[in-house]
Amino acid sequence: MGKELNNEGFVKKMFKKYYAEWEGEPPKDFNRREFAFVISRKGEMIRHKAFEEWGEVREFLRKNSPLHVYYSSAYYAQPSASDMDAKEWMGADLIFDIDVDHIYTPCKERHDRWTCLDCNTSGRGMPPEACPKCSSKRVEVKTWFCEGCLEVAKEETTKLVEDFLIQDFNFSPREISIVFSGRRGFHVHVESDVVKELDQRARREIVDYVRGTGLVVQNGKRRVLAPPLNAGGWPGRLAKGVYELLNAGDIEGLLNLRRGSKVEEVLKAIVKGLEESRDYWPLEGLARKIWFKAVEKVIVRKRCEVDERVTTDIKRLIRMPGTLHGGTGLIAAKVHLKDLESFDPYVHAVAFVKGEIKVKVLNMPEITFLNQTWGPYNDEVVELPIGLAVYLICSENAIVVGEGDENA
Amino acid sequence: MIFSKLDAATYPFISLASRLVKELEESLGLNAILSPDSEVLRRSVERIREAVYSRATSVYKRDLEVEVLSHPVALILIKHMNNKRLVNVYAEAEKNRVLANLLKESQEKLATLAIDGFNWHVKREGDFLFVRFDDYLKTSVNMLDAYWKLVNRRLVKGYVELSRRDFSRLLAEAYRTRILEKVNQVEDVQVPSTLKSVIEELEREFQGVLPKVDVSATYVGEYVPSAFPACILKLLEEAEQGKNLSHMARFTLATFLLSIGKTPEELLDLFRKMPDFDESKTLYHLRHIAGEIGSRKKYTPPSCATLRTFGLCVANDELCQKVKHPLTYYSKKLKSLKRGELGKRAK
Ligand code: SF4
Ligand SMILES: [Zn+2]
Ligand SMILES: [Zn+2]
Repeated sequence: MGKELNNEGFVKKMFKKYYAEWEGEPPKDFNRREFAFVISRKGEMIRHKAFEEWGEVREFLRKNSPLHVYYSSAYYAQPSASDMDAKEWMGADLIFDIDVDHIYTPCKERHDRWTCLDCNTSGRGMPPEACPKCSSKRVEVKTWFCEGCLEVAKEETTKLVEDFLIQDFNFSPREISIVFSGRRGFHVHVESDVVKELDQRARREIVDYVRGTGLVVQNGKRRVLAPPLNAGGWPGRLAKGVYELLNAGDIEGLLNLRRGSKVEEVLKAIVKGLEESRDYWPLEGLARKIWFKAVEKVIVRKRCEVDERVTTDIKRLIRMPGTLHGGTGLIAAKVHLKDLESFDPYVHAVAFVKGEIKVKVLNMPEITFLNQTWGPYNDEVVELPIGLAVYLICSENAIVVGEGDENA
Repeated sequence: MIFSKLDAATYPFISLASRLVKELEESLGLNAILSPDSEVLRRSVERIREAVYSRATSVYKRDLEVEVLSHPVALILIKHMNNKRLVNVYAEAEKNRVLANLLKESQEKLATLAIDGFNWHVKREGDFLFVRFDDYLKTSVNMLDAYWKLVNRRLVKGYVELSRRDFSRLLAEAYRTRILEKVNQVEDVQVPSTLKSVIEELEREFQGVLPKVDVSATYVGEYVPSAFPACILKLLEEAEQGKNLSHMARFTLATFLLSIGKTPEELLDLFRKMPDFDESKTLYHLRHIAGEIGSRKKYTPPSCATLRTFGLCVANDELCQKVKHPLTYYSKKLKSLKRGELGKRAK
C-alpha cells in the first residue's frame, strides 16, 4: 500500500505478528523467576517482573511484543522485589553459554570486521581488545554467523552435553535443554536439584572442569604417571585422547618431533602401555616428553569453550527459549540433542517464512537462508524473503524501502 | 551400623552427638553445665587451650558425657570471645583431631559417618569411596590445592572417586567448615556472669599468643575467586599449574590471599606445586608476611602501579581502570556481585 515504515516500526509489526499466536513453553517454576524485557531499541530494560500464570506472560508479550525477553536462571522467594537481597535467592539453574563471539573460528577472517570508533582503523577477523593504532577500547564489530561458525558451535555444544554433562556429571538428558541463542551460539540449561543450590565457587569448579582449567599434568619432575584408558573424568579423557592421537597419522608432524627409530619405538611403547595398563603407570625420559606434548594437544581438543562468566553467575538473566532475538529476528529455539547435527538456524529458527519484501541492503555476505542462497549484496535494493529481511534490518544491515506483500 | 557414645565424643558432627547434647542439656540444665565448678566447663576450657597450644584437640575418654557436652560449650565460649583468629585455630585443631581418628576407621564406618553427619551421597567400590560431585564441591572449594580441584579428580557418572585417605581429609574439612558456620550461628546465649570472668581470663591469656587480626578491612574473611582481579587469578592459576613464579609474583599472591583471610597454613598447599618448594621455609615466609612472626608487620599486596612495572598487571576490564590497588578491585567487585548488578550482564 506504499505506506512508508521506518525500521523500528517494521520490526515491531513483525514481532507483534509472531507473539499474537505465541503459546510458549513455561520454564520450570516460572513463577519463582524474575522476568526482564527490552521493549524498544532505545528503551531501558524493564526488570523485576514476575508472573503467577503462564497466560499473563503470553498476554504481556502479545501487548508489548518486546525485542528481547529474559528470565532469571535463579529462583527467588520474591522474584518481583527490586532489591537483590529482598528477592531471597532459592537456587538457580546451571547455565552454559557457547558463543562464537568468544571462540576463534578461521572463517571470521572472511566475514567479521571491526572498526575503531576513535580513529577509524579497521580490520578483519576477531576484534582486538584495544585498537592497535590508538589503543582505544571503543571498537565496533560487524559479525556474521556462517556455516563454519555454526559447525564449531555445534561441536562445542555436543562435547559439553555428551562428554561432560551426561557422561561425567550424570545429568539425565531430560534435565538438559539446548537452546539456540538467537545469534551466534547455544545456551545449555540444566534444571536439576543436584546443582540448584550450588554457590558461585562450586559453579566455578564445574566451569573449570568443562574448560580444562587448572588441569595438572606435570606430576613428578623426572617421571610422569600416566592414567589408564579406563580411568574416569579427565585422566581417562587424556589417556584416550593421547591414544587416538598416537594412532592417527603424521604423529611426528603434529607433535613437532624429529622422525627416527628412537621416536618410533617410544611411540609404540606408549600405545602398548595404554593398551595394557589397568592403573597409573610411569613414563620417563623421551616418553615423558612426548606424553606432555600429546597431552597439551589433547586438552585443547577435548575441553569445551564455554563462557565462564555466565556459568558462575548465579543470578543471571538469560534469553527465554521460544522468544525472538531483537538483534536478528530469529527464534531462540530449543533443539533436541539428536537434532543438533542437522540444526540450521536459517531454517529452523526462522519466525517469518511467508512472503517477500524489498529492502535496501547495506552490506551482506553470501547467505543461505531457507535453503536458498542470497547475496552478496552491497548498498543495493533487492527483494528478499521476509525472514531474511527481518534478520538484516534487526542487525542493522538493511533498511526498509517499502511495504512488501508479506501477507501473501 | 550403630554409633556408640565414644563415636559421639569423637565425631561431634554425627546426629547421635546432637541428640545426646540435647538430652543432657535437658536433664542437667544449662546453668549447671555452665557453673564455675562444672566439669564440662573445665573440659571446654581445656579443649580450647589444646587447640591454641598444640593445634590439635584430644578426646577425653574418662567421662564421655562431659566430652560430648564440652564441644558445644567450647563453641559458646569462643563465640563470646569474638576473635576470628581463635575460631579458625579451634576449627583447625578439631579438624586435625578428627582427621587422625578418621584415618583409623574402616571404609564402611567412613561412609556411615559422612552420610549421617553431612547427608553426603556415598558409594563404595573396591578400595575406593565415591562422593556425589555436589557434596564434594561444597567442601572441596575450601581446599586451595590444585589437587582438590574437580578437574583433577576422577569423576565417574556424577561421583568423585576418592581413596580412604582423601575421603577422610574431605570429611574432616567438612567438619571444620561446619564449626565456622556454627560459631556464626550460635545465638547469643545468656551466659551466667561467673562465666564472663572465665572468658575474660582466657582472652587475656591468648592475647600474646594469637596474632591480632586486621578487623578494619571489610573484605577480610571472604574468599570469592570470581571477584579476584585478573592479575591475581592469573597468578593463582599459574601457581596451581606448578609454574615457577617470580619472587614478586609469589609475594603478591601470598599477601593478597592473606589479606582476605587465608591462613599461612592454607596457603602452604598452594605453593607446594612450586619446583623449589621447601615446606618449612615457605611456611616461615608466609607467617612472616602475615605478621605472625618476626617484625609483626602485616604486609599488603603491591599497588597496581608496582604490579604494572613488574609486568604482572593484566588489566582486562573497566573496573581495573578505576582502581589503583588489587584489594580495592576485590572489595568493589565483591560489593557489586552482592548487589547483583544484572542489567548489563543479560545474555
Ligand atoms: S589494574 Fe590492578 S587489579 Fe587490575 S589487573 Fe592490573 S594490577 Fe591487577
Ligand atoms: Zn583507534
Ligand atoms: Zn564463520
